[in-house]
Amino acid sequence: MLIKRLAVALLPVLLAACSGGASAPNSQTTTTVTPTPSPPPAIVNTLAVVMDAGPAALQVGTNGYSAFNEPYVTITICAPGSTTNCQTIDHIILDTGSVGLRIIQPVISPALLAALPVETQATGNGVGECYQYVNSFAFGSVRQADFQIAGEKVASIPFQAIGDSGTYANIPSTCSAGGGTPIKTVQDFGANGIIGIGTTATDCGAICAAGNSSAAIYYDCPTTGCSAVISRAANVTAPFQQLPNPVAAFPQDNNGTILTLPAVPQAGQVTVNGTVTFGIGTQSDNSLTAANILALTTSTSRLGPGLLSATYNGKVLTQSFLDSGSQEYFFIDTSLPICTQTALNAFYCPTSTLSLSPLITAVDGTTASGSFLLYNPNNVSNSSDVAPGLGVNPTLVKPPLPFANSFDFGVPFFFGKSVYTAIEGRTAGGRQGPYVAF
Amino acid sequence: MFIHNRGLQQSAVALTLLGLVLMPSSVANAALGAHALTINAERAQAGAQMQSFKMPDHMRYELVLPNGGSVHEFANAAGDIFAVSWSGPGKPDLRTLLGGHFGRLQEASGVGRARMLRQPAQVNRADIQIQTGGHMGYFWGVAYLPSLAPAGFSTSSLK
Repeated sequence: MLIKRLAVALLPVLLAACSGGASAPNSQTTTTVTPTPSPPPAIVNTLAVVMDAGPAALQVGTNGYSAFNEPYVTITICAPGSTTNCQTIDHIILDTGSVGLRIIQPVISPALLAALPVETQATGNGVGECYQYVNSFAFGSVRQADFQIAGEKVASIPFQAIGDSGTYANIPSTCSAGGGTPIKTVQDFGANGIIGIGTTATDCGAICAAGNSSAAIYYDCPTTGCSAVISRAANVTAPFQQLPNPVAAFPQDNNGTILTLPAVPQAGQVTVNGTVTFGIGTQSDNSLTAANILALTTSTSRLGPGLLSATYNGKVLTQSFLDSGSQEYFFIDTSLPICTQTALNAFYCPTSTLSLSPLITAVDGTTASGSFLLYNPNNVSNSSDVAPGLGVNPTLVKPPLPFANSFDFGVPFFFGKSVYTAIEGRTAGGRQGPYVAF
Repeated sequence: MFIHNRGLQQSAVALTLLGLVLMPSSVANAALGAHALTINAERAQAGAQMQSFKMPDHMRYELVLPNGGSVHEFANAAGDIFAVSWSGPGKPDLRTLLGGHFGRLQEASGVGRARMLRQPAQVNRADIQIQTGGHMGYFWGVAYLPSLAPAGFSTSSLK
């Protein structure tokens, strides 16, 4: 607690010290004949997003590889209260499909790591966390850092140090029992870390507050190691217990995000540059101008938060979602040919470009077109190039096994669009979150 | 949950008693391919509630986990568990649920780099089929042993 209070007290100093930092020009489009330049945002709320070959450490060694279709941002973390013991970390995945800041521990310099306190419980024991992704899981300590992205700052934000050492070196059996591969390194993850900016304010909510587990599992970690699952309160303001959505934790611009990516040609592109803007309707540069505003399920939904329906080939798929952290479209269509190459396992290989037209239906009944062109991955010039319109079939069993209620609109759906993601319980641009808009 | 009107054939209490009398002490066998009598130990270990339903050609066991998630297990006339399915926030203990078949899921989870880094694991073989999926805080999947399924069984019943 003392550490947190000190950090809050020091935040104005930190803000003052950093306010001369990098600031992207505000590219405001205006339709007036004699435009008056908009005043610059009070807080720099826009940041570059890059899709490229990934962090340097990804490509090193015999197991090295280049990233594919990953939108990355750069963040800065500092020891709580310090303006000098800081590290700027590139190639953090910007993920609208998860929540929380997670950094691969070996990426953090030893001097900074030593100054990032592990969250503790009333007993004095440290807190560990397991976080499950669809085919993998990450385990590590929950530490605190002063956090900055663009001009937005959060003092003493809890984040997960994935693959942390010492007390946190052994993965609890209840974490690995869910299956999938453990994420410990940059090469396991394809990134130096991830910033989850999905629709919920914390990464678990009421389920972990009740001592159960969701994708997030919190652990009691005495020095002998982590084993017992513990409850963590779902506070949406400091002092946090669960990992917050970093955007929800901002002092301002905390109701959502806008991810803008350019259109990408079928042949692919080595590098794609876009932007993420924090806040919706909070500054001159983030007005809600999207044509389609689509309300999503909340944390109280039986099927989980952040969902809408997609109607495809006559089936209503009630567990559909938009996700910048999915590298392709994931959906089932048994009529489409599957690629035969091992390196394209489960990818669709249409004989010619197909126009697919899933219809998206929001929870309030609003509809929008989810149409896109499905391309053959063999027509992409280089396998690591950013590519649009690739699709994957998540079950090759015929007939498909029955959990076929999902259409995952991955990052290619964001190409050529500005996609708004509004956080649950927050009003954003005059509309109640959670919603996506484009 | 479209089949509740088929009627509850055995109560959880009755299964508990059966389990006490007949259950071998090891829960390591409580899994896909094992006998349905092992399900009760698995239920106890997970702190789950359970109901069972007699279907025309199989038994269906529905477990509700403490976090609200579901595990469904399907046994043939001989009592062999030929399929399991799961859905809910977080993943259940698949190491226990899949037993000796857990390795198949693991093999399928580790195949990807680059383009395939975040693909859900799937297994499509003659002896075993596994489908998985999910999103932020909600995961689902099904594992199926065709050779143990009743003749003419439709996988659409596996939800």
